[in-house]
Amino acid sequence: MSSSNRLPAPMGLLIDRNQALNFQFDGQSFSALGGDSIASALIANGRWLMSRSFKYHRPRGPLTLAGQDANTLVQLPSEPNVLADITNVEAGMQVSAQNVSGSLDNDRDAYLGKFSKFMPVGFYYRSFYKPKGMWKVWEPIIRKKAGLGVLDLKFEPEYYDKQFLFVDLAVVGAGPAGLQAALTAANAGAKVLLVEEQAILGGSLTYARFDAEGVRAENLRQELITAVEGHCNIQILKKATCNAWFTDNYLPVIQGKRLYKVRAKQCLVASGSFDQPVIFRNNDLPGVMLTSAAQRLMKLYAVKPGKRAVVLTGNDDGYLAALDLHEQGVEVAALVDMRAQPADPKLLTLLQTRGITCHLSTTVFEALHTKGMRHVSGVDLRKITSQGEVASDSLTLGCDLLCMSGGYMPVYQLLCQAGGKLAYDDQLAEFTLSGLPEILHVSGSANGCHALDNVLADATNCALDIIAALGLNDDPGRAQLKAEAQVNFPWPIFAHPKGKDFVDFDEDLQVRDIINATKIGYRDVQLVKRFSTVGMGPSQGRHSALPTARLVAHSTQRNISETGVTTARPPFVAEKLAHVAGRGFDPYRQTPMHRRHLAAGAKMMPAGVWQRPAYYGASAERDKCMQAEAKHVRNKVGLIDVSTLGGLDVRGPDAAEFLNRIYTFAFLKQPVGRSRYALMTNEHGVVIDDGVCARFADNHFYVTATTSGVDRIYQQMLKWNAQWRLNVDVTNVTAALAAVNLAGPLSRNVLQKLCSDVDLSPEGFPYLGVRTGTVAGIPARLMRVGFVGELGFEIHVPARYGEYLWDVLMEAGATEDIRPFGVETQRLLRLEKGHVIISQDTDGMTTPGEIDMTWAISRTKPFFVGKRSVEILEQQPQHRKLVGFTLEKGSRQPLEGHLVLDGNDITGNVSSCEFSESLGQIIGLAYAGANQSIPGSHLPIRVEGGAMVHATVVELPFFDPANQRQEL
Amino acid sequence: MNSLTAEAFKERSPLYAKHQDASLVALADTVAVARYSKAAENMQLARCALVDLSNLPRVGFRGTDTADFLHSKGYDLPETPNRANAQDDGSMVARLSQTEYLVLGSLRDAGTRVADLEAQWQLSEQANYLLPRQDSHAWLLLTGEHCAAVMAKLCGVDLRNGNFTQGAVAQTSAARINVIVINNHATALPSFHILCDRASASYFWDAVLDAMLEFGGKPAGIAALLD
Repeated sequence: MSSSNRLPAPMGLLIDRNQALNFQFDGQSFSALGGDSIASALIANGRWLMSRSFKYHRPRGPLTLAGQDANTLVQLPSEPNVLADITNVEAGMQVSAQNVSGSLDNDRDAYLGKFSKFMPVGFYYRSFYKPKGMWKVWEPIIRKKAGLGVLDLKFEPEYYDKQFLFVDLAVVGAGPAGLQAALTAANAGAKVLLVEEQAILGGSLTYARFDAEGVRAENLRQELITAVEGHCNIQILKKATCNAWFTDNYLPVIQGKRLYKVRAKQCLVASGSFDQPVIFRNNDLPGVMLTSAAQRLMKLYAVKPGKRAVVLTGNDDGYLAALDLHEQGVEVAALVDMRAQPADPKLLTLLQTRGITCHLSTTVFEALHTKGMRHVSGVDLRKITSQGEVASDSLTLGCDLLCMSGGYMPVYQLLCQAGGKLAYDDQLAEFTLSGLPEILHVSGSANGCHALDNVLADATNCALDIIAALGLNDDPGRAQLKAEAQVNFPWPIFAHPKGKDFVDFDEDLQVRDIINATKIGYRDVQLVKRFSTVGMGPSQGRHSALPTARLVAHSTQRNISETGVTTARPPFVAEKLAHVAGRGFDPYRQTPMHRRHLAAGAKMMPAGVWQRPAYYGASAERDKCMQAEAKHVRNKVGLIDVSTLGGLDVRGPDAAEFLNRIYTFAFLKQPVGRSRYALMTNEHGVVIDDGVCARFADNHFYVTATTSGVDRIYQQMLKWNAQWRLNVDVTNVTAALAAVNLAGPLSRNVLQKLCSDVDLSPEGFPYLGVRTGTVAGIPARLMRVGFVGELGFEIHVPARYGEYLWDVLMEAGATEDIRPFGVETQRLLRLEKGHVIISQDTDGMTTPGEIDMTWAISRTKPFFVGKRSVEILEQQPQHRKLVGFTLEKGSRQPLEGHLVLDGNDITGNVSSCEFSESLGQIIGLAYAGANQSIPGSHLPIRVEGGAMVHATVVELPFFDPANQRQEL
Repeated sequence: MNSLTAEAFKERSPLYAKHQDASLVALADTVAVARYSKAAENMQLARCALVDLSNLPRVGFRGTDTADFLHSKGYDLPETPNRANAQDDGSMVARLSQTEYLVLGSLRDAGTRVADLEAQWQLSEQANYLLPRQDSHAWLLLTGEHCAAVMAKLCGVDLRNGNFTQGAVAQTSAARINVIVINNHATALPSFHILCDRASASYFWDAVLDAMLEFGGKPAGIAALLD
């Protein structure tokens, strides 16, 4: 059957007759041509049944052939819910039906339709919750039935990305209006982006017929696309969907695996209009399709849609379509016009001369079907007696194709997303749009122009407005539009006593479902939608919104403008999360010594966006590596990369005054060559950061901040100085300086080999001293620090030398058995010294008093950020305190976050905890109740699995309480 | 094929590990990639290429006395922020705010003029503070006819030639990190100077190369730039 179903050229704009290929559908092999959609290829092979409806599992075939309905949803191996009518066939493609019970041809759930009377609208809401507790019984059954396709959980993510596009004008839709407007604007010098959903330009010109001779559409299409495709000012995106309109013409356009983020100064929506179905019994049968769908089959895919057709129409376009069918060898059994006569009487004559019988003031009352409802087999025609009513006399005609067109609905979605208001014109029986933003325009059939001359004139006028708005030209001339025939039949709804007159194909909603929803009391169309689910399926009301508005209006004795349609929200078509996510941008930062860490076998860990070595060795040996590294630092010398430590240069005559206000300590009299601990509170008196302020000159401080906090602190400093206007410059030099901490009793020996211009003796460079000099010929800032509780030198050098510095220190320290140590080890070492890490041992409520940091607050200076709050807080009773605790070796080790209890009350939590080999104990820091903070107290901690351990509160620090080691 | 190695020098580009198969050339006290392939890379530069200039000196200055300081050193300064002026010696001065400037060294003198400027600077009573841009920022040069299209995959600012003119400066975000982009279309070769956080250079280099792929973009060296 396949070859006989193919029509000769010029039919088949999209297909390549020289490219034959095969694919599988539901296990059967089918032939296709290059450019075929899955649906067109199946129909060419005589296969119309492609899916089953969502609720009643009724047989369904293509309705629109434009990707605007759910009837062609199929399953690909790795992708569910693929629209077969717009997805190209590929050789070897494996396609299957979805949402079937058994098989597509013999669906066991097809009987459900027979019980539709017992499943009225709102059935779900009213039935499954009573009696109380029944939902638990129904839920698994309903969930099993719900959903359409099947996800492939083994699917490997693919490469998707995003790109910005900046244009003067974005034209959505490349039909006659879009093409004409794009060309007009581009000729005036505008940079135009033309977005077209289909694979070829032309929109309705590619399939519809605009004149009796059937030549104008193609001639005009050729003329327009020749001009557009060769235009240097026009960028064309085919097979691309503008999926939303966001403020200021921010347009997400999806093409393939890319999401374009279009920024357009002006936007023109020339999206056309959707052909609308007529509602009668069995209007969902395979073989019943929109008239435009039959034309698409012929003109785009060269597929003969049937042997004997009936065309049901509410406008003159149906006559022209009948001519198309007739010319392609389809017997047109009847043209059924719901109107009393066509707008152009010549069309009637034209059809009659071709032997096509025309039935006026007539409708299809019921579509008849073959066994199993696999296909339409005929129609029951009735004379229309009044709105929605028909005579009892019936005329039955046999056919295998029923084309229907009740009129058009503008593709208003993007326009309504932009705030456009829909109003119903009772005379024309169609919606009009108003209230668009000034930078958004509409033209063509979306703007109510259907006659080709009017479409072109409207588009030109619109483009001239846009050109003027862009400041390119201000041509006052505007073409006058001619009066044109009405295209919408006012009431293409013919309810049948036996139902199955579908308003919403996605959700299997019939006329009575909508009427009943209003009778139950849901007068508002938004509530009708939510109660009945009309418009909530994949086609999002493209064909159900207008009849629903008509039915609700009629049922509630209002007009359609009052009723309106439901809100249109993005996205316009289903979009993949992969499009939204795009190419993943996950920035990371590496220190200059990163490669050396990897070479040394470091286990890397994230510290904010930085990558830092946690320890050096295998993950499985974390504790062993850490303890060995810690022991090495305590006994010999270790080297840690501290380049991630925040660094801020504060320079200028007011540098000291600035720091005096920012930090809690006093800095005005800090000597040059010394560093001082710096604690920062916010205006609420909460501790937010710490570091050291190293004074290298009267007007130069180098301030360190926490790795994760420095950017925030830098912003705070800039913010405060915007108010204070002190003469100071603050520069974030975090990435500009590579830094290491050379720590351990042998660290001085190592440094002495490389640094000859600084007196490194304890007297010449005491604890907390800072110096500038050179290390291995590199300019360096040197700081005596004691964070890990050992003799230590922080060496800060320009980042370009960081790796070299690491190399020379490791080489120089070889005789001292130097080894690198990581962040985890450093945390253990500082814990042994009882040093707090801001944000690990503090939270969003921690005050200086709670962490025993009141010594770091100057009482004599008039101001620092948070001073007033700190003083107020100090007058309040303290409820908690950070304490050190120990547990015997072998006890269950608490983890960070484990709760500290006092009876049944939670008084705090563990903030740091590790086993210390140096001390032979588990040590930690935890918040405890004020009454639990006295050394010697027992601290009940609830550990993993709810078990309790009882720690002992001890004085800090745990190690070297006299601080002798760091001050060597 | 390489007699030079990056690790033989104290100064190292944050990206030197990305240039393993490239041939290197001396650049003052350090090295730069001469070329990635044996063939000349002029065509690649014209089409789409990414060059690591991180070892070429650059420095920033900020303060109310900075303009006078740079004038005194013979630099021609942009009149408004977010503009850059090419200097006669091939270097470039970008004005990043009312009082902040960025000086980019020239390949012609291997950046020695700018390196000297940095080395000679001393903190004084003058409101002219040195900003260590060579150490805080990596420096990439994106070249070729697809510059703006590549950046459109990374950045939300319109960098097309009509909108982002020769000498324009954009301080913005690309691939989710802060960058300074300078239009350097003065020569026949369209190009953008891109300065990004030095610590993020490895990440950003890969992100830009990924964006360049569809345009046939590849890394290139400085040899063809000097032709």
